[in-house]
Amino acid sequence: MTPLQIIFLITSVGILGSALMVVTTRNLVHAALWLVVSLFGVAVLYVMLSAAFLAVAQVVIYIGAIAILMIFAIMLTRRVAKDSGPQTNPNWTWAVVVAAALFGGLTWLLSSWNGFSTPIPELSSRADPLSQLGQALVSPNAYVLPFEVASVLLLSALIGAIMVAWDRRSG
Amino acid sequence: MIPLSWYLILAAALFCIGLYGVLARKNAVAILMGIELMLNAVNINLVAFWRYRTPEMIAGQAYAVMVFAVAAAEVAVGLALIISIYRRRSTIVADDIDMLKF
Amino acid sequence: MFTGGFDPVNILAILPEISLIVLGLLILGLDLALPEERRGILGWVTAGGLVLIIGLALAISRPGSEPILLWGGMLRHDWLGFAFKIVFLFAAAITALFSMDLFDSGRRGEYFLLLLAATLGMNLMASAADLIMLYLAIETTSIPLYILAGFLTKDDKSTESGFKYFLFGAFTSAVMLYGFSLLYGFGGTTNLYGLSQAFLEGGLSIGAILGSLLLILVGFGFKVSAVPFHFWAPDVYEGSPTPIAGFLSTASKAAGFAVLARVMLAVFPSIAVEWGAIVAALATATMTIGNIIALAQKNIKRLLAYSSIAHAGYALIGIVAISYLGVASTVFYLIAYVITNLLAFGIVALFGRVAGSDDIAAYAGMSRRSPWLALGMMVALLSLSGMPPFGGFVVKFAVFAAAIQAGMVWLAFIGVINSIVALYYYLTILKYVYLYRSEDEDKPLPVSRPYAIGLTVLSLLVILIGTVFAPWFSVASSAAAAIFR
Repeated sequence: MTPLQIIFLITSVGILGSALMVVTTRNLVHAALWLVVSLFGVAVLYVMLSAAFLAVAQVVIYIGAIAILMIFAIMLTRRVAKDSGPQTNPNWTWAVVVAAALFGGLTWLLSSWNGFSTPIPELSSRADPLSQLGQALVSPNAYVLPFEVASVLLLSALIGAIMVAWDRRSG
Repeated sequence: MIPLSWYLILAAALFCIGLYGVLARKNAVAILMGIELMLNAVNINLVAFWRYRTPEMIAGQAYAVMVFAVAAAEVAVGLALIISIYRRRSTIVADDIDMLKF
Repeated sequence: MFTGGFDPVNILAILPEISLIVLGLLILGLDLALPEERRGILGWVTAGGLVLIIGLALAISRPGSEPILLWGGMLRHDWLGFAFKIVFLFAAAITALFSMDLFDSGRRGEYFLLLLAATLGMNLMASAADLIMLYLAIETTSIPLYILAGFLTKDDKSTESGFKYFLFGAFTSAVMLYGFSLLYGFGGTTNLYGLSQAFLEGGLSIGAILGSLLLILVGFGFKVSAVPFHFWAPDVYEGSPTPIAGFLSTASKAAGFAVLARVMLAVFPSIAVEWGAIVAALATATMTIGNIIALAQKNIKRLLAYSSIAHAGYALIGIVAISYLGVASTVFYLIAYVITNLLAFGIVALFGRVAGSDDIAAYAGMSRRSPWLALGMMVALLSLSGMPPFGGFVVKFAVFAAAIQAGMVWLAFIGVINSIVALYYYLTILKYVYLYRSEDEDKPLPVSRPYAIGLTVLSLLVILIGTVFAPWFSVASSAAAAIFR
């Protein structure tokens, strides 16, 4: 076991453990907090995969914005978020079966692929993923179009969300 | 050294946990959390594939950035719809929202 | 690593999309500038702008006979995408007309903006040639539509419909995205045509490709509302504003088919036999279940929802054929279906507003209240059921011919049986419209001008497709040629 492997194992136990808490815990505020832990673990993985920018984005966007937004939503709808009564469907056992079967299927599918246990290739010392990513996102020969479309999507989602959630009592 | 398979299995497990959350949870916000877990599993996949398969081509990271953007838009819209329905019904338990049934 | 330098064709090809954004900003600006009582004009601006964009696209953005990859491989400028784009723009223009008297006050600007954003997403779906672009385009279509479905925040059913559409949509798109990520990993590229190369070179187990294909089909199945991913459709159509239900069941579904055709035929030729069998099963189940459940419906929006599920099944037949004729017939089918179903939903929207009910029983005596509207209903329903001389007959004939040519007589047979079953429930509605009497017979059904224009154009087009079908089919053939070359 190399130190890197040990870090990976600890992180993945953290991610999966807290993810399990997210989907099982009764108190929704706790679930949201466990979600933050899980998302933070994923950020650690990005660092290990030398995608430092994504790690920062994960913390800023997912934890800073998305998870916090969820906590707000739970607070706003708190009358139903009280941990009274079961929080799962009566047929949750089927959900377990489906999820477990899917996991088995995916594992089989991935292991039948010949690149399954590729060792990690060396990043060339001159390569700079961050500036590569930055240039690709605004290059007309790469991802400028998705980049612009994403901005349109975010704008319309913003307008739409305000429309739907805004309580216009006067109107 | 960590082989690619570790990341892929981790992502598959996270995806299935998220899927369980979507299928089994009653509360809409909790379902949304399950969906977020699934999207994170996808992102682990994308970044791991980028690092192991095509480190010279930035596609995987660019994809992950787009998934961030979409996830943010999706959550904003989803929570807005949830709040809107809560205002009408005072519930966001998916089972109780059942006016439209044949 | 990337193809295509920067030349003007890059801009020309996405001119319709750029104009959509400009039109959206114009709407937003007008919404702020105009006083409240004059904002009724926004619907006209949207519809007129969309018609202008169609003209612009036909004049300037037509693709050549050789498909080209643009924007670093993000888009493929070809007839498949172009034909669908025109259909989406047209459907959006009609939907804008039908939406004009949806509101008593305010909020129009945002509504039309979201409609345009969804149309932009559909346009990009039709021509996307890269997994990144494709995912973003699908979400740009879906997310505004979630809001539009739940737009009437004062209406219990509309909020519920937006909520359900969102939960199903977000879930299936996450599953689909996982499939996309596997494709990227297995193929080592995000470009659809690069993936196809990588899969044809072999060295990949069939199980791996087929597994990711199944995950992707969950997302596509949701978009085209194929069984078993159809549960959302009746609930969402019933609850959402009727013009939006029409838009969902036509343009949004056609966009799903554009993607389905391109991805299946371009990326997976290496496992064509396997996916052919899977999609054939989907088509059979979709037709049969859609039609059988439609028989029991009392609400016309739910009935049309199940009928539109069944129609997705017919259109899938063309894709299962995996042939030039097959794709051409699916595109042709969708053109006719979009126009016919818009007509049906348009009449339902108008009737629902005036009569205040979507029950089929409320349609009793409709022919005495408004003979023209009843005639439009007859055109729409007979075309949907596949009667000559309407559009629905020719296109059904085309997909069944494609199945027979591909040696799948049994599939064509199931299709014919289903059409007969479907005829029953379409005729039941017509029975209410023409034969039954009701106490409301003396109440007229006023048709506002936007509806008059929209319904007339649609009825004429339905008849035109059924009688002069050569030009339409030649467009569909060029679309198919973009895939098979």
